[in-house]
Amino acid sequence: MTRFGMLVFVVAVAAGVTGPFLLRPFGLYLISMWAVLTIAAIGLNLTLGYAGQVSLAQGAFVGIGAYTAALLTQAGCPFVIAFVAAGSLCFIIGWILGYPALRVQHHYLAFVTLAFTTLVFLVLRNEEWLTGGIYGINGIQRPNVFGWSTAKAINFYFFSFGVLAALAFATWWMLRSPWGRAFVALRENPIRAASLGVDTRRYTLMAFAIGSSLGGMSGALYAPLVQFIEPNSFSLGLSFSLLLMVIIGGSGYFFGPFVGTLIAVLLPEWLRVTEGYYLIVYAAAVMAMMAFCPAGLLGLIERSARALGGRRRPETTQALVGGADS
Amino acid sequence: MSAVLQVSNMRKTFGGITAVDNVSFEVHSGEILGIIGPNGSGKSTLFNCVLGQLQPSAGEVHVDGRPTTGMRPCDLNRLGVSRTFQLLQVFPQLSVRDNLILAGQEHQGSITSRLFGRADAGVGDAAGRMIEFFGLLHLADEPAGSLSYGQQKLLDAAMAFMAGPRLVLLDEPAGGVNPTMLGHLRERLRAYHVEQSATFVVIEHQMEFVMALCTRVLVLAEGRLIAEGTPRDIRQNPIVIEAYLGH
Repeated sequence: MTRFGMLVFVVAVAAGVTGPFLLRPFGLYLISMWAVLTIAAIGLNLTLGYAGQVSLAQGAFVGIGAYTAALLTQAGCPFVIAFVAAGSLCFIIGWILGYPALRVQHHYLAFVTLAFTTLVFLVLRNEEWLTGGIYGINGIQRPNVFGWSTAKAINFYFFSFGVLAALAFATWWMLRSPWGRAFVALRENPIRAASLGVDTRRYTLMAFAIGSSLGGMSGALYAPLVQFIEPNSFSLGLSFSLLLMVIIGGSGYFFGPFVGTLIAVLLPEWLRVTEGYYLIVYAAAVMAMMAFCPAGLLGLIERSARALGGRRRPETTQALVGGADS
Repeated sequence: MSAVLQVSNMRKTFGGITAVDNVSFEVHSGEILGIIGPNGSGKSTLFNCVLGQLQPSAGEVHVDGRPTTGMRPCDLNRLGVSRTFQLLQVFPQLSVRDNLILAGQEHQGSITSRLFGRADAGVGDAAGRMIEFFGLLHLADEPAGSLSYGQQKLLDAAMAFMAGPRLVLLDEPAGGVNPTMLGHLRERLRAYHVEQSATFVVIEHQMEFVMALCTRVLVLAEGRLIAEGTPRDIRQNPIVIEAYLGH
């Protein structure tokens, strides 16, 4: 990281730690939502941004994770175990969902994963004996984690922020390891990658499984955050929102999901003053963004920094991992 | 001399077209074998069938006497068989160094040890030496996509050598490369061949390049082997002149 990137990182972490003390409950709820959904967006960024596998199923994995955690904790299971179970279950299902990706790519793959999202929605809605059907699951408690109660909004925020930090570090570690290089190779040229000994089958499945697992862990936090879950929360809309967060932030940039999720969570609230027009303004902003800067906000920042500095920085894996560090 | 690569009765059909028709040949340890032939004569298809990118319709491939027909490209690569493609195949967003590390990393340790081990999988130094060997030192940290065509060709070849393969199949390494760069490439290939005692199979249209580099040449036309011999013999072979050189 450059010195400037380091500075931004330190300021952002400081804001994440001190900011909550200045916020009212709704503000705390929003930044907790940011922390929780960023985990899911990091997962999708891994699958889509790094490994290049288009997925419209991330919302469904958040749903699977949320229902798993809610059902297990209501059955008396400690939250930590429910959290691990949600992540593991989504890892396995994500691995299985990866198989179609070995045969089809791009928009065909998008349709396969879209069908999966619909399937999950139908299961959540129709299997009333397990999921409560359209009534969903009520009264999900904020967990006690190793004896520490997260019932207070600020405690739950710090808990979510801590989990986000830990998972982000694990993802960063993975992306800077040879795996990260193999994932990018998979995105850029799978045939050449295979001829260099990269087991494209295994890495494709792994990208899906790990990305989905992060979706599931995000869901396990989502359930106690909102305390009430129902199938509609995890329909296609959420998958599209998560895709938007990754693309707006900068797909394939490590910090892209952090920025994208912040915008996707906060912008609708800021645009509330426009009343009924907020969706129109939001949609127009997204379209302008995609037309003029398909690389997302971090891509825009990198481009501006390059133009200002007059110096071209290589977009190596390290730079991609570093994200906004130029 | 033992056969590093043995291809027997290879056939590949696409619908009604027979792209490779009953081709058999052997490649001996330490030789540089050239394969020439007009466009569409089945050279690249033959490579793809040997290397697992395509499933042959019939025939067998042995590497060091071991059957490898239909083996996946990544498994074949780990047996020490490497290749370049006819069209440029580097990873444009990765730096030159990362391209080379990628080309070597999958040969190190297991998939788990690569996750928890060093970021360069322990091949960073080897990548550095390869960069120096191919004269790309000043470009080491540039994204591969920003290199000139000829430089990318060099990188492409360097990547094929990164894991220290015993057998390298080069598909038109000289295609589209300017004469200065071509001399450089030929010299690097020959140096690598001598230093590592590696075995090469080269598909090439550039006759001077083939004649200067190869010890033995096969000629393909319409999917069949029509001639085989030393570069000098091939130049004087009337069938070859008729099918290829005469035009």
